[in-house]
Order: sequence, then structure tokens, then C-alpha cells
Amino acid sequence: KALHTLSNATVINEDVLSALLKEICGALLESDVNVQLVKRLRDNVKSVIDFEEMAGGLNKRVIIKRAVFTELCKLVDPGVKPWQPVKGRQNVIMFVGLQGAGKTTTCTKLAYHYQRRGWKVCLVCADTFRAGAFDQVKQNCVKARIPFYGSYTESDPVVIAQDGVEKFKAENFDIIIIDTSGRHKQEDSLFEEMLQLQNATEPDQIIFVMDASIGQACELQARAFKDTVDVGAVIVTKLDGHAKGGGALSAIAVTKSPIIFIGTGEHIDDLEPFKTRPFISKLLGMGDIEGLIDK
Amino acid sequence: MFSFLKNINFSTQQTVTSESLQPVLDKLKEHLTSKNVASEISVQLCDSLESSLVGRSYSTFTGLTSTAKQALSDALTKILSPKHRVNVLRDVMDAKSKGRPYVITFCGVNGVGKSTNLAKVCFWLLDNNYRVLVVGGDTFRAGAVEQLRTHVVRLANMYSEEQVQLYERGYGKDPAGLAFEAIKYAKERRYDVVLVDTAGRMQDNEPLMRALSKLVALNNPDLTLFVGEALVGNEAVDQLVKFNQSLIDNSSASAGTKSVIDGILLTKFDCIDDKVGAAISMTYITGQPIVFVGTGQQYPDLKSLNVKSVVSALLR
Ligand SMILES: Nc1nc2c(ncn2[C@@H]2O[C@H](COP(=O)(O)OP(=O)(O)OP(=O)(O)O)[C@@H](O)[C@H]2O)c(=O)[nH]1
Ligand SMILES: Nc1nc2c(ncn2[C@@H]2O[C@H](COP(=O)(O)OP(=O)(O)OP(=O)(O)O)[C@@H](O)[C@H]2O)c(=O)[nH]1
Ligand SMILES: [Mg+2]
Ligand SMILES: [Mg+2]
Repeated sequence: KALHTLSNATVINEDVLSALLKEICGALLESDVNVQLVKRLRDNVKSVIDFEEMAGGLNKRVIIKRAVFTELCKLVDPGVKPWQPVKGRQNVIMFVGLQGAGKTTTCTKLAYHYQRRGWKVCLVCADTFRAGAFDQVKQNCVKARIPFYGSYTESDPVVIAQDGVEKFKAENFDIIIIDTSGRHKQEDSLFEEMLQLQNATEPDQIIFVMDASIGQACELQARAFKDTVDVGAVIVTKLDGHAKGGGALSAIAVTKSPIIFIGTGEHIDDLEPFKTRPFISKLLGMGDIEGLIDK
Repeated sequence: MFSFLKNINFSTQQTVTSESLQPVLDKLKEHLTSKNVASEISVQLCDSLESSLVGRSYSTFTGLTSTAKQALSDALTKILSPKHRVNVLRDVMDAKSKGRPYVITFCGVNGVGKSTNLAKVCFWLLDNNYRVLVVGGDTFRAGAVEQLRTHVVRLANMYSEEQVQLYERGYGKDPAGLAFEAIKYAKERRYDVVLVDTAGRMQDNEPLMRALSKLVALNNPDLTLFVGEALVGNEAVDQLVKFNQSLIDNSSASAGTKSVIDGILLTKFDCIDDKVGAAISMTYITGQPIVFVGTGQQYPDLKSLNVKSVVSALLR
């Protein structure tokens, strides 16, 4: 760039920009956004900020915040239209994720969500590992009158998943949801098992369930899941708490798939469609961001 | 050719200034945060580092960065080394000598590993020849009672029916009263330890936090363990602050001291590689020790914290 004297307006603007960016990056870090992602975001915003526009006296804070908001929207929306179940076909959905993230609870919520919209839905409990897993599924499904399949004796999850899907396909169910046990990338055998589950049941959709309170380990784990099975959607759970769910930004980026729902409680109807704006406002630690965005 | 230079000592003594220290601290702050230390705590750690370093002299040979890193390493080691050790086995013996059971309560947010790690603690106590009563204090979540029963049946097969039993009244009952009855039952049947499971709850769910505090105030457990997962990020701070505050606010007037979280059970340590920062976030914010570390999903996967390896992982 030609050497030009920095007009003091630009100099001031740069100080304003870096001070404000420092504050915004601080908020994003406190919302559990990945450290590298925050750095990339800051650089993107710096390159996008048009100093002439700023010099024009427009409120600097609004311009900068709007630039950050737009960058975040780009991160949250991977530009992929989420998969939808198809009437007249047997749609198989498999849930995967780390231990305790909320898979079993969210499986029932999603089954209930589709059942209420007129779909013939059922649940297969392919978690043969965790104590009480089948009872958890059974009690949830009986309460919500959702057909389910599982076993107290079969220890091979692939066998149960296969038998369950076969049974429910024979009985003409529209949507077959498969719950699987929690797993983490450090345990190869568990990821090998997940791959076998995918191959055996050929799901139309694989949903990665993640806990909103997860910290910096999210990116590596989400990447490992995506590298093993064809993750197509993300659900962030436990957003009814204080957590902002910043880890989801990495999960979206790495799995190249959108957040479709969020979990907002332990009850069967605590499942809400994902909305970008409120999610980003929470990440930025801002109340209502509407004012910033011209409709 | 320049070998003679080797033995000339070029280092001089320099004084640390906050200007010179600032970029070093910023890099350390980012490093700690990337290791999953809560960002607020990375900031506080580096601020205290600055106040302890500015004005001190350091040799240019070792350089400012490694001087700061060494100071940080000492600070981290101090935070992770508990002021008071929680010696569960000794305390169990002590309670036994007084003819009463030693009571441990497991609390924390949803899905962090309370029930599974309660079972691991039970396995460890059975291995030390104690008789344990497991209490089904999660009377809410589907499958919670069956989950504990499965563990108790397995553990009874490994040891004996005589040595471990489940005390539960199904779902819906008030956990505080259930725990009270269980402790009485344990005293009558001479169990050495009572392990009370509780339902997961969000730290800002007022009614559920009050209910937990009521259970603690009524039963006055010997050890109230906060179960937190090593995967958690900044929420570690908010969780612990609010769990502790809720226990303090609802402490029973009769109890001498205010009941608080006595120690931390850090779970899923096998899921984070070197992003071990949650251990710092939790000990720094409470000043309480990490009593157990969960490193897997099997009964023996319960360890104590290796301070040296955690600090080296943080600084790596
Ligand atoms: N507050 C809150 N709790 C939730 C939500 N989703 C799940 N939970 C709770 O989180 C805990 C774990 O949920 P599960 O469904 O058992 O999690 P999971 O992923 O199936 O766990 P594993 O099968 O052991 O890997 C339970 O206490 C659930 O009630 C949510 O959106 N909000
Ligand atoms: N990898 C790993 N998984 C663990 C560890 N501790 C517990 N888990 C898993 O985490 C999941 C949740 O464990 P639970 O014991 O049901 O958690 P909880 O806190 O009792 O859950 P709620 O009662 O629903 O709040 C299970 O799949 C456990 O196997 C650990 O140290 N490492
Ligand atoms: Mg489950
Ligand atoms: Mg539990």
C-alpha cells in the first residue's frame, strides 16, 4: 500500500477498533469460543472494517459490532440446508456424542417432536454399555407413548441397532431414531464401534449432540467424530443454564453442518429450533442485538 | 572457531518492567486459555504474576519469558497442591470409631459423571474392606435408580451382598428425607460409608439448588463432593460459585460452620489430552482440593491428581 500519512482520524479509529475488539474477543473467550477461532475472527473483522466509513463520523462502536456480528453469522451458518425427513420413506437418524452430552434425552425429545407433527416415530436403544441406559430409554418412551426397541441381554450395540432398524422398517415406521453410547476420540475401540454402527444401519442423518458448557476440547472431539462418521447436524444441549455454547462454533465449522435444535431443559418438550441471532447475542454477552441490525 | 565465546557469560541482570512483561503475559494468558483454563482465571493468574514479577531482577541469560514461565509454574503448582488434604480412608476410620457411618454426597450439573464415579468410589471403599450403602438420591431422571442398582449388583457380585447394598425408594420421593432415612438405616446396620447420589441440576435453577442445599443442611454429610467434568470451560467458575453460595445460604442455623463444597471430583480427565485447565479453574475459584480424578468408564478408573503432570501439560 502506498505510504500515506495516517490521518489522525484513522489512527484514532484503529485504537478504538483494537480496544473494542479486545473487549469483544474477551466476551467470546468467556463464552467458550475456540481460542484460534477468536483470533481468526478478529483478523477477519480488521480486514473488513472500512476506515473511510468510520471516518464519516458514524458511530464507531455500532460499525465494529455489526462487522463482528456478520462475521459470527457466517461462522454459525455453514451454508448447508439441513436434511429433512422424507414422507413415504423410512428415515433413519443416529445420535452420537461425548459421554453425558444429552443424547438419550434429546433422542426422546426429537422423537416426540416428530410424533406430534404426525410422523410414525420409534426409538432404538443401541447403548448396551452404560448402566441403566435401556431403562432410561424405556421409561422416557413409555411416558411419551413412543415405540422403542432394546435389550437387557444383548451386549453388541451393532446387533441391536441392526435388528431394531430391520424390525421398525418392516413395521413401516417413518422415522427410526438410534441412541448410541457416549464416546470420546481417545478410545479407538469406541470410534471403531461407531463406524460399524453407521455401516450397519446406513442412517440418513447423523446428529452430533454437544453440551453447551464444553470448553476448548470441543473442536478436537467434533473433528474426530466428523472424521469417523458422516455427521450432518449439531444439537447443542443444556442452553437453559448459564452456558453460552461457544464451542458450537467449532463444531459447526469442523462438521460443516448446522445447529438444527437446542436443548433447553430436561423435559421432553424442552427442544427448540435453533435461532442464529439470540445465540450470537448470548455469545457476545449482549442482551438484544436487534438494534444493531437493520431489519 | 567461536568456541572461546562459549565460556564468556553474556548474561547481565535486568529488572522486570510491566512494559517488557506485557507481551509475555498476553502470550501466557492466551496459552492458558487454549489449555481450557477459564479465561477470567487466566487473566487473574497473569495479573498476580505481574505484581509478583515487576521490579524483580532476572538474568538475560534465562530471559524474561522463561522467568515468567517459571513463576507461573510455581503459582500453578501452589494452586493445585491443597492446603488441607482430604484423607477419606482416615476419616472413614474416625467415623467408624465413633460408631457412625461416614456420609459422602455427590452433587453437580447434569451428565458430568456423578453416578458413575460414585460407583467407582464405592468399588475403592469395598476394596478397602468397608461396608457401603449406596443411596438412590436421584429420584428424578429416567433410569437413575436402575443405573445405580446395576452398579450395586455388579459390585456385590465382585465382593458380597453383605458388603454393599442399594437404598432406594423409586422415583418422586424427596431426596433429603430419603437420605435421612438411609443414614439412619446405615447406622442401625453398621455400614461404614453412605454414598448419596443426587440428580444433576443447573447451577442457576433456584428450586433445585435450594432442594440440594436442604439435603446437605438436613443430613450434614462428612464430605460434600462437587462433581465437575474436565471438559467444561468457563462454566466451571459459575457452577462452583453458585453451588457453594447456595450451600452457604441454606446452611442449617444449628450446624456450627457453614456447609460448603468440601472437595472436587474431576471426571472425564481421559477426554481432554493436554487441555487440563478445568483443574485450575475449579481449585483456584474454591480453594478446595481435587479429591478424585475420573479417568475412564470402568470401576478402577479413579485416580488422585498428579500435580506435576498437570502443570507440565499446562505449560507445554
Ligand atoms: N438442564 C438440562 N439438562 C439436560 C438437557 N439435555 C440433557 N440433560 C440432562 O443431562 C444429563 C445427561 O443426559 P443423557 O441424555 O443421559 O446424556 P447421554 O449423552 O445420553 O449420556 P451417555 O449416554 O451416558 O453418554 C441428564 O441429567 C439429562 O436430564 C438440557 O437441555 N438441559
Ligand atoms: N470417558 C469418561 N467417561 C465418564 C467418566 N465418568 C463418567 N463418564 C461417563 O459419563 C456419562 C455420564 O455419567 P453419569 O454417571 O450418568 O453422569 P451423572 O452426573 O450421574 O448424570 P445425571 O445423573 O444425568 O446428571 C456416562 O456415559 C459415564 O460412563 C470418566 O471419567 N471418563
Ligand atoms: Mg445416553
Ligand atoms: Mg446420575
